Parts: sequence; structure tokens; C-alpha cells
Amino acid sequence: MKISHLHDIIWFVGLILLQTLVLNRISVFGVAVPILYIYFLIKLPRNSNLFYVVISGFLMGLIIDIFLNTPGMNAAATTIVAALRKPLINVFFSKVEYEDFVPSIYTGTGAFLRYIVVMVLLHQTLLFFIESFTFFNLTSTFIHIAASSVLTLILIVALDSLMYRRTSGI
Amino acid sequence: MRNLINFIIRNSWWLLAVLLIVFSFYLVFTQNSYQRSVYLSSANRVSAELYRISGKITSYFYMRKNNEELLAQNAKLQNELQALKSYLNDLALDSIQTQSFVGDSVSDMRFRFIPANVVNVSFFGSNNYITLDKGLQEGVKADMGVVSQNGIVGVILAASDHFSVVIPIVNPKFRLSGKLKHSENSGSVVWDGKDLHHAQLEQLPKHEVFHEGDTVVTSFSRIFPKDMIVGYVVGQGKTNDDNFKAFKIRLATDFYTLQHVLIIDDTYYEEEYSLEKSVEQR
Repeated sequence: MKISHLHDIIWFVGLILLQTLVLNRISVFGVAVPILYIYFLIKLPRNSNLFYVVISGFLMGLIIDIFLNTPGMNAAATTIVAALRKPLINVFFSKVEYEDFVPSIYTGTGAFLRYIVVMVLLHQTLLFFIESFTFFNLTSTFIHIAASSVLTLILIVALDSLMYRRTSGI
Repeated sequence: MRNLINFIIRNSWWLLAVLLIVFSFYLVFTQNSYQRSVYLSSANRVSAELYRISGKITSYFYMRKNNEELLAQNAKLQNELQALKSYLNDLALDSIQTQSFVGDSVSDMRFRFIPANVVNVSFFGSNNYITLDKGLQEGVKADMGVVSQNGIVGVILAASDHFSVVIPIVNPKFRLSGKLKHSENSGSVVWDGKDLHHAQLEQLPKHEVFHEGDTVVTSFSRIFPKDMIVGYVVGQGKTNDDNFKAFKIRLATDFYTLQHVLIIDDTYYEEEYSLEKSVEQR
């Protein structure tokens, strides 16, 4: 139990640092910004306490907001995704899996890909539409969502493949 | 009854989620850009410190380009210095007659420049902000103008003891009045949210003409001195209002490699502001 919490905290801090110090400076063609911190929610075990999921999602979003000077935007989008995570997992993965099931690219590649596509698209759509409350431009918003989602998905798949190799290679 | 309580306890995480979402949206809508708190922005101590460290590292990557720009700037200043020196010499020759009339020819310096380093530039959709490593302790206050060696950068939005946040031209909330250098008609410089290199000069009268490469400078502004470079005209812009004209401009400041900026401290700002306020009240 304790090990898993420590593991979560390291991921939480690591992803925030990666997002704010590296990824937010990347802006491919001025439209695509990789938003990788959602990976934390994707990788929480399926049976995680729902309070834990929602609160960690909210805190993650809020801290990202503080770094990016976008009060509330990331927090709102991430909390909504955190709340919808459990039903989404139930849609994509069969219920017969063992207790501490962690979604990963090696536990059913097709299901995992569909799961992350929906999570990322949902998150980015929420994010860019909340952002559009202050500044609206429909075509550029859609281009932003599509480009950023593709970039984020590529990064998630790459990261997930790497993680598995490292843990299983021992 | 017990079932009901159990049900509520089991599902109360939904309630929590809804509360947190409502709170987030509250933040989205109430944080007016001009009264935001220092704690919820990157001017707070922890995030600013982190940004400062990473800014130190990344600044090495841009050193070459910045060096070249500094050299070019240096050369230009040298030229100006030489020109002014010879001008001064000329004046010194014929100042014998006028010296008795002019009491003190050295006027007060109206604008003081505070150099600062960029510790972070955040690109997030269209909400772009820049964090600088100078704050209240160095005399930086909200509403001061910020320029780079090439042109206008933005305006200070909030300042903590050692850091400050700038709202740059490339933020849709930013407005600035500007004009073509050779003309007197002012319009407003607006960013259209597309890319960090271009903006539009809008609300110009219909008869205004441009040539490609014309310089766009600041006009009346309480924050910037007159005639500071904003950018260069690249073509006709799009406008929704047929009564006005718009030009597309290339911004003079490169926000991707921005490292060093100058904060403009206008020593007459308070005086001008209070005078204008007192007239409005009358």
C-alpha cells in the first residue's frame, strides 16, 4: 500500500515537472501542445478509491494551472475526466480482470488504445472549450484539439511502452 | 434509512467531484486578468523559483542568437553615439551665444529601464504569459511596459517580491494603440490567436495606405513611450467592419527565443495618471 502511494507521488510530481518545464515550451507549428499529465489518471489502478482519483485529478489540474497562469481551466477539465474515468474503464475493459488491474498497452493493446484515445480527446476537448470561453475561434480550436491530441497520444504510447520494458526487464 | 445513508456515503465522491468542478469554473470566470492573485499565478515563490532554474539552463540554447542580436544592437548604439557626439560638438561651437539663456539643458530622465531575464514563457492555446525574474523589490509594479531589444513585449500584470508576470502582445486580452510610422492615424494592435509571429493593426481609416515592410510604432499610450517599434506590415489584414481597414503585421519581438527584456519605469506615470483622473472627476 505504502509503496504504491510513493509510486503515485513520484509520478505526480514527475509529470507536473515534465509538463511545465518541458512540454509547455513545445509548440509544434504553433498549434500542437502535448498535454501529457493526464497519463497519471490513465495509469491509476482500476480499483483505486474514487475520492483519491477525483482529488488527485483536481490537484494536478490546479498545480498545472498555477504554473501556466490559466486559473481553473486545467483543474476543471481534469476533474471531469477523473470523475468519468471509472465508467470509461468499464466500457473498454472486461470486468473479469484481477483486482489491481492497471491499464497498460500490454494488457490488451486494442482496448488500451481505445481507452486512451477517448480519455485524451475528452480532456483536450474540455480544455480547449473551457479556454474558448475567453476567446472563441471555432476552426482554430478544432485544429488545436486534433493536433494536440495526436501529439499527446503518441507520447503516451511511447511512455507506456518504455515503462513496461523497464519493469519487466529486471 | 440505513440503505439511504449507505447509498449517500458510497456515492458522495460524485458530490465531491461536482463541487470541485464548480470551484474550478468559479476560478475560470472570476479571475479577471487585471486583479488576479499572485498566489494562483506563476509569480508565486515555488513555481517562479522552478522556472528560474530551468530558465537558467535553457538560456544557454539561445545564447548564440541573443549574442548576435546584442552585437547588432551594440553597433546601432555606437552609430547613434557617434552621430550624437558630432552633433554635440557642433552645438558646443555655437552655444556661446545661447548658454546665458538656457539654465539647465539636462532635462530629467523620464524613462528608467530595469533589465530583467525571462524565466518562463507559457504557451497554452491563446493564453500566453511571460514570467520575469524582477519584482517589487527591484521597483517593478503592475502596468509597467516591457520591451525587448527588438520591440514591444507586453505589460506587467502582477508582481511579487522577486518575480513578475507579463501579459504579452500575443494574448487576446492585450490591446495597444499603434500607428504606421509615417502616418498620424492610430489604430489598435490585436493578436488573432493564430501564431506568435503575427498580429493585426486594426481600426485604421479607409484611406490609410501601406507599403510592405512599413514600421508600426506605438502611438498615444500611458504605458509605452511614443514611437517604440511594434512590428512591420506584411500585408492586408482581415476585418469584420467595412468602415475600417486592417493590416497584418509581423511582430518585432520573437517570443520563441525571448531571453532578456527591459521594464520601462515611467517616473511621470503617477503624475499623469492622477492629473487625468482629477479631470475625469470634475
